[in-house]
Amino acid sequence: MVFDEGGGCLSRLFDFAGGTGMGYSQPEPLLSKNKVALPPNLMRKELPRWPRLSEPEMVRHYTWLSRRNFGIDTGFYPLGSCTMKHNPRVNEVIAQLPGIADIHPHQPEHHLQGLLSIYHEMQHMLAICSGMDDVTLQPVAGAQGEFTAVRCVQEYFRKRGETQRTKVIVPDSAHGTNPASAAMAGYDIVEIPSLENGRIDLEALKAVIDDTVALMMITNPNTLGLFETDVPEASDIVHAAGGQMYYDGANFNAILGRTSPGLMGFDAVHFNLHKTFSQPHGGGGPGSGPIGVKSHLAEFLPSPVVKTRPIVGDEAKFAVDDMWYTWYEPEHTIGKVQQWHGNAGAIIRCWAYYRRYGYGLKDMSEHAVLNANYLRHALHREAKKAGVSHMFVDGAEAEVAKHEFTLSLQPAKEAVGVSAMDVAKGLLDMGYMAPTVYFPLVVPECMMFEPTETESRDTLDTFAKDFAQVLKVDAQTLHEAPITTPVRRVDEVYAARNLCLKHPFDEE
Amino acid sequence: MVDQLPNRGLETEMLEEMGFSSIDDLFSDLPEHVRMSEPLPLPPPQSEEEIIADARRLLGANLAMGEAVSFLGAGIYRNYVPASVFQLITRGEFLTSYTPYQPEVSQGMLQAMWEFQTLISELVGLPIANLSLYDGSTAAAEALTCAVRVHTRKASQSDTVYISELVPPDRMSVMHNYCQGAGITLKLLKHNADGTLDIDSVHSAAGSCGVYVEQPNPLGILDGGLTQIKEIIGKNTALIVGVQPVSLGLVEAPGNYGADIIVGEGQPFGSPPTGGGPIYGIFACSKPYLRLMPGRIVGRSIDVDGKEAYCLTLSTREQHIRRHRATSNICTNETLIALMGAMHMSLLGPEGLEHLAYRNMTACVLAKQKLSEISGVSVPHISSSHFNEFVIELPRSAADCLKYLDSVGIIGGFDLNRWYNGRTNWLLVSVTDQTKAAEIDLLAAQLAEWCSMKEVVA
Repeated sequence: MVFDEGGGCLSRLFDFAGGTGMGYSQPEPLLSKNKVALPPNLMRKELPRWPRLSEPEMVRHYTWLSRRNFGIDTGFYPLGSCTMKHNPRVNEVIAQLPGIADIHPHQPEHHLQGLLSIYHEMQHMLAICSGMDDVTLQPVAGAQGEFTAVRCVQEYFRKRGETQRTKVIVPDSAHGTNPASAAMAGYDIVEIPSLENGRIDLEALKAVIDDTVALMMITNPNTLGLFETDVPEASDIVHAAGGQMYYDGANFNAILGRTSPGLMGFDAVHFNLHKTFSQPHGGGGPGSGPIGVKSHLAEFLPSPVVKTRPIVGDEAKFAVDDMWYTWYEPEHTIGKVQQWHGNAGAIIRCWAYYRRYGYGLKDMSEHAVLNANYLRHALHREAKKAGVSHMFVDGAEAEVAKHEFTLSLQPAKEAVGVSAMDVAKGLLDMGYMAPTVYFPLVVPECMMFEPTETESRDTLDTFAKDFAQVLKVDAQTLHEAPITTPVRRVDEVYAARNLCLKHPFDEE
Repeated sequence: MVDQLPNRGLETEMLEEMGFSSIDDLFSDLPEHVRMSEPLPLPPPQSEEEIIADARRLLGANLAMGEAVSFLGAGIYRNYVPASVFQLITRGEFLTSYTPYQPEVSQGMLQAMWEFQTLISELVGLPIANLSLYDGSTAAAEALTCAVRVHTRKASQSDTVYISELVPPDRMSVMHNYCQGAGITLKLLKHNADGTLDIDSVHSAAGSCGVYVEQPNPLGILDGGLTQIKEIIGKNTALIVGVQPVSLGLVEAPGNYGADIIVGEGQPFGSPPTGGGPIYGIFACSKPYLRLMPGRIVGRSIDVDGKEAYCLTLSTREQHIRRHRATSNICTNETLIALMGAMHMSLLGPEGLEHLAYRNMTACVLAKQKLSEISGVSVPHISSSHFNEFVIELPRSAADCLKYLDSVGIIGGFDLNRWYNGRTNWLLVSVTDQTKAAEIDLLAAQLAEWCSMKEVVA
């Protein structure tokens, strides 16, 4: 039985080239194959060099691969800024029901009243939680949500004739998607430096604000996990100059039911539904990135959004409650950012997640913040007990963190030559996913921890003890870590210099 | 009571250990005037049993295509995903992992995505594929901006791309949204009355940054003329081809007739229709586009012991490093759905793929023949080869016809007046490997019935 070794009969998909069978049997075509006519120059001459696996071989191959992968189900996954919370399995069961899996986006409204009612419920819930007036579920990822909101703001200003607004302001601690999304819409990016503790520098903002600014993009809590108390002032400054305020909802998990982007003075916001409402992250996707906007931007949203109207005539036999759910095209819509109706399957899962909490979403955020603060406390406590408290400091001074926090391993680096990356790799050997390292850049030798609300105190305590144990390991051993994983440190420079992006058939 | 919070009941102990007296202390940094004073006006929490009951009721009110007889396609197609794909995808190690930033514990997904890149590369006939974009429309839109990045400096028609006039408005709208920021002009290429691309009009695209066409085209036509485009536009203009991937079991890979970038909706491999998402966009290209292409790529490498290992590579194109100069803003993509696609493709194998394409095409041939025999119905492009769908012209409006068919349990197709203003009597009928002969007979019978009616159905 092959476990971690790279060789062996189970390891490489394209070694299964010599089989004769198909992995699953199919019915015969409806007509004989010679009834098919193609333009001669369009006849495929050679089939793709795909493998030939039987079902048992295919099942073993992917099971083997899965065992070389780490998920939340495998163990604690404190990856900061990614909100790796437990994914309730009932959501997966629901997403496979034929009423979602086997529906077509072009079916008429009376075929999809259940879906539309769920969309409407989600739009309503997100509007309430964010303090916005209208919501679209169309964007399929957080970055696409950002782009969508920037486009709405852009068209809003074009309609008002304020075409001189060509700039978007982002703090230097922002996620990379913020400047990338605004640049894709055609804006010039003005990056303003953060204060030493990672917070917004209002003076730096004042120095760049004028009537050429369309938008300022802010994450709150910020990427260090700290609540930006100056956001209302920043909002006043930007609004006074006629600009708009955008809330990056990546860290929304920290504040539900406690405050909202609307209360903070924002005009538009995106939600990472997959983070806050637990669509499984699936190795990097799918996600879902709805946006909410204040009423002055509502008629610019992508089309369509779901609205209600009274039931007419024989619609009653298709209705799911006392309203008719209908697709609505906003008057000045920017059109579409994705061809269909967003990631419907992800939205259904997130709806099921929301239903489990209801008004208790506030409890969810409170426990996310409770766990983050407790983990920070436990890491310091256990480090003290183990005599390694001199190895790290808080990434930013703060009485309380929100849903995540940073540590700086700079002292360890200076004292014994152990880097944040070394510690991360040491944690892999202890059976944990490593926290995010080297982000945000404002913290030297940064490690960013986000435990989420779904981890027990026992897990947090055990992790804190193990973290201290890693810091006791000598530098040489940590440089060598990890040693227990399927492969050891991977040479990324080699990968970039010796590009091998597909199976090299021709060399074999 | 919410059952997802393991520390419920431990709040006070945990807070006291930290020196706090209440949860409110943890939110003391929120300025007074931004605090939410009232509880969220939302309903109470539900149990798992209640949620699943509501889901069954609401989603049960949707008409699943399998409960009716469906000829609706137009970009998303009925398919069969083998059971083992659904079983394997529930492996928590895949399902609940994140982007493989720690490659040592992410070898499974990295290798699976490297294999996915190989499967797509082989399918379309180009050496490079990324590990998915959001859907076919965003893949097409990103292909246009990629082509401009690569070619605009040498182009006589800088910042200009040409796209087939048949591209559906929804897809074109996505293209517009992605292109307008870069100042890209979208110009249209004409089609002939028989639905094929007007090859003469392609000459006007020489000197531009790119040409975007689809094979099969949005009317389902397999257009042999597309193989001439590359020669006309030359190497300094990208040929971008949108494909239906199943068709490539029989239809020549566009990489073999000069395509530089190939995009498409990956959905038929691995993903049920799911209301249009999550699905995944295919993006493949040739070497000159590699360093300016969007999306993540996995490379094969070695670890410190020299053992074969995989990692993300060429990341300096991406937003987390390049920020506003990144080739795209994409971060989260559709990896899990691409993995389902890889599993499905692995099970098919080359001969299974060819067989699947035959099943699609024979169903199309049969449907075309049966519907063309109906008095009052004509098939405008009857002499063309079709994949997945074809147009029928009706004696009255397609909208009315669809209403009638719906009343007898048939989802009859797509009303092309929604795409092409004025084509009120054109219905796009989609057939796939899932279509049964009896279903085609039923559609033909009911279409004949509708055609024979004098009055429009109310």
